[in-house]
Amino acid sequence: MGPLEEMLLEIKDTSELMVDLAYSSLLYNNRDIAEEVNQLDARMQELENDIQEMAVQNAVDDKDIKKALLIIRLAQSVGEISGAAMKIADVVRRDVPPHPVIQLSLRETDIIITAVTVGVTSDLAGATLGKIKLATNTGMYAIAIRRGRRYIYGPDQYTMMMEGDTLYVRGPEDGEQYLRDLANGTVHLEPKDLK
Amino acid sequence: MPFFDSPDDEEDEHLTVRELLTEMKDISEVIVDLAYAALLFDSQEIGAEVHHLGSRMDTLNHEIKIRMMLASRTKQDAVQLSVLLQVAEGAAAMSKAAGDIVDLLELNPKGSPIVSLVLKEAEEKIRLQTLSEQSDMKGKTLESLSVETETGMRIIAIKRGIRWIYDPEKEVTLKEGDVLVVRGTEDGFERLRRFATGMEKWPVYPQEGP
Repeated sequence: MGPLEEMLLEIKDTSELMVDLAYSSLLYNNRDIAEEVNQLDARMQELENDIQEMAVQNAVDDKDIKKALLIIRLAQSVGEISGAAMKIADVVRRDVPPHPVIQLSLRETDIIITAVTVGVTSDLAGATLGKIKLATNTGMYAIAIRRGRRYIYGPDQYTMMMEGDTLYVRGPEDGEQYLRDLANGTVHLEPKDLK
Repeated sequence: MPFFDSPDDEEDEHLTVRELLTEMKDISEVIVDLAYAALLFDSQEIGAEVHHLGSRMDTLNHEIKIRMMLASRTKQDAVQLSVLLQVAEGAAAMSKAAGDIVDLLELNPKGSPIVSLVLKEAEEKIRLQTLSEQSDMKGKTLESLSVETETGMRIIAIKRGIRWIYDPEKEVTLKEGDVLVVRGTEDGFERLRRFATGMEKWPVYPQEGP
């Protein structure tokens, strides 16, 4: 993959993380998470500019104007998604207590966001997200991990979970209880789940 | 409008706004995935659905604005409700972005494979999987399968013959030959593929007691 493809990939993944974080910050009225959305937006702006420049440069070189337009407009639209996430997170950053209806409706949606704490006897403690295959096994996708006062945003397969961690996840409602049981150690994964 | 029928019934008023906002959030999630799917599979049909959902979103956003204005009586109300409006605006902005993504179809993304390359490499990919005759997923409802909990893959659309079912409801029963448009990780897709091709039996769990 060339640098242009990599940057496009990064803005797409980042914009999705921003949306998840924005809804999480709203649900938990969490300023730290809302602040991260703001930080990520700065990175998005940077990438969007670089993408535009490189796409124009490529068009000068290979005369493929349509391709350049396609890339610039796609980057722009992905940027709009991150802008939408900013709007949502901004509500939390403004320090106005969110209207209770917001939280109620966030809990009723098809895709919910929830937070679980990793207990000492949990299979998750001391394992990486990749080893546990969290998303595959529970349907719940990790958005962020809080460890003490620190946060790990957009954890990847190499991210280790530890006892006491709070996992912020997104997924279907019927995956929540299983993840909760897994996190507090009342149920365990079977060997077939890990292969 | 329920709001006019019972202006003093706070519960009722909340329920309505809550439903509006819930639907807006649901659309905002699925519409972006569908937009990427339209680009990836170069599908005008999926694109048309994105625009259709987009106009539904506009209607909801308009409706929620009216409710908010009618509900606002004090400055305190206005501050709190403006927050709600901003969240609704955010959801609406996502659907607008999805519409813009679909409009890229006019630029013939098939001619520039860069877009599909990027979408195929993304952390959560959008893939197609056909349900084979051997699969025991067929004949079961989405509710009984809980596909996402079992595999981590979310079904964003189903193609059945020439028909499409977008953002399928729990009551939908899967059929042999259905093409599932799914979103999720590589791992999860591999697991779903084994079930959908009949290589593996769909797991059945013992019923929990009352």
